[in-house]
Amino acid sequence: MKVLYIDTSSSYLYAGISDNDVLLSSIKKNLGSDMSKYTIMEISNLFKNAKLEPSDIDKIMVVKGPGSYTGIRIGMTFAKIMAWSLKKDIVSITSLDAMSVLDSKKLIIPLIDARRGFVYAGIYENGIVIMENQYIKLVDLKEKVSKSNKDYVYVGIQNKFELENFTEYAPDILNIIKKYEYLESENPHAVLPEYLKLTEAEENLQGINHDN
Amino acid sequence: MKDIYILGIESSCDETSFSIVKNGVEEISTVISSQIDIHKQYGGVVPEIASRAHIKNITFVLEECLEKAKLKIEDITAIAVTYGPGLIGSLLVGVECAKTLAFLYHKPLIPVHHIAGHIYANNLVKRLEFPLIALVISGGHTELIYMDKDYSFKKLGSTLDDAVGECFDKVAKVLNLEYPGGPKIDKLASIGEDTYNLPIPLNDSSYNFSFSGLKSAVINLVHNEEQRGNIINKENLAKSFQEVVIKSLTKKTMRAIEEYKVHNFILAGGVSANSGVRGEFQRLCELNNINYTFPSIKYATDNAAMIASAGYYAYLDGRRADLTLNATSSCNLE
Repeated sequence: MKVLYIDTSSSYLYAGISDNDVLLSSIKKNLGSDMSKYTIMEISNLFKNAKLEPSDIDKIMVVKGPGSYTGIRIGMTFAKIMAWSLKKDIVSITSLDAMSVLDSKKLIIPLIDARRGFVYAGIYENGIVIMENQYIKLVDLKEKVSKSNKDYVYVGIQNKFELENFTEYAPDILNIIKKYEYLESENPHAVLPEYLKLTEAEENLQGINHDN
Repeated sequence: MKDIYILGIESSCDETSFSIVKNGVEEISTVISSQIDIHKQYGGVVPEIASRAHIKNITFVLEECLEKAKLKIEDITAIAVTYGPGLIGSLLVGVECAKTLAFLYHKPLIPVHHIAGHIYANNLVKRLEFPLIALVISGGHTELIYMDKDYSFKKLGSTLDDAVGECFDKVAKVLNLEYPGGPKIDKLASIGEDTYNLPIPLNDSSYNFSFSGLKSAVINLVHNEEQRGNIINKENLAKSFQEVVIKSLTKKTMRAIEEYKVHNFILAGGVSANSGVRGEFQRLCELNNINYTFPSIKYATDNAAMIASAGYYAYLDGRRADLTLNATSSCNLE
């Protein structure tokens, strides 16, 4: 099975094409604010390097967030349009699902800065989600982790919060694909970003205040 | 000559739209998904909510457009997309979609300026005749443009602050009218009388406009009347306000028509749906023997048919973008 993997949920573009146990081509590049400009050009190069055409792909795996709102929509737009127009299978995983793919027996806690003392995080143990992906106060997350009395490792991009037991996220694209490629295919119309947070305007309208 | 089919994509604000236009003039199919009902409750367009809605809609709207046209992407000659100006997050969804299709199907990619699109909405009504003066008035734009041939634009002037449509919406808010308030002001004005005294803004020799002062004048007027315990006659205030806007727009436009010695004038953009503005230009153009075109209501507001029509002439002009095309919130019409 040939799988195209795309993650534009951070300032890094992570993408790859695998064929069963082989990663044919991949890219890991910090595009920062140029994500919208270069992503499709880079994906085009990915195909050239793998010596494949988009029509050769069997399945698209797209990271749906959480993370950069604009970033997520870049990879997601590409994935949805490709899956819909070329009638390809598509599966979506969260950025935290991707970050949790780590060879460790400890609790794995991928986290992404969501500003104002909040993070997007999940807790995984032996490949299974034991705390759903959520928008959570960092102090509350830390408390949950310490209460578990288990060995743990945080995974993220740059240890901004100076957490103990922190590992810098360095995606193993082939292993991420292998872990999730057998997820059931989704309808490309229904594949959508997972922001994990309403917009401020929606929160204000609904009277949601996270600080209480 | 072989027929040229352009797929147009528009997502610069709160409408997700796809359209297929043949040879720049013949509309094959257009689908517009408007988010007006979503943004209404916020009193205006919320950029992040708009971006989220665009990505939700995009494949549905594209599918419906192709089905209505009974065409496949393979049948399309080239893909034209609004790359700016507009809300960056919204634009990006359309631009990434266009680049993806161009990449997957090896189709030429044509960047279209949103204002060029509004002008070419008129080309779907009647083939543009040159030279012409175009006045583009919408919630985001107020521009006076001179064109001597297809896809060649010379900007004569624009608003220095608020766009005219923005001013309509803000004044409507002061009058407690629901968003979008422009059409509601038009309706009230049609039964009101011009009784309130408001200044004509930027009444100078330039071709620029200014509407923020007028907006403030209305706010002050309402405030002062309330202080005095007087009840505002909404119909009359709407009429007085609209008359000042019309005077400001027509005065400079008619002067440009005279100075550039053109016999063709086109009105474009969402505010061109305003009956007062439409009517006064009609009267003035008849009086001065000017060939006057305005878009049907359907094409006055944002839509992809106008982008596909403009895209055809940009295509003939050899304009192309590569896969690094980026969206931009502000850009010049060239």
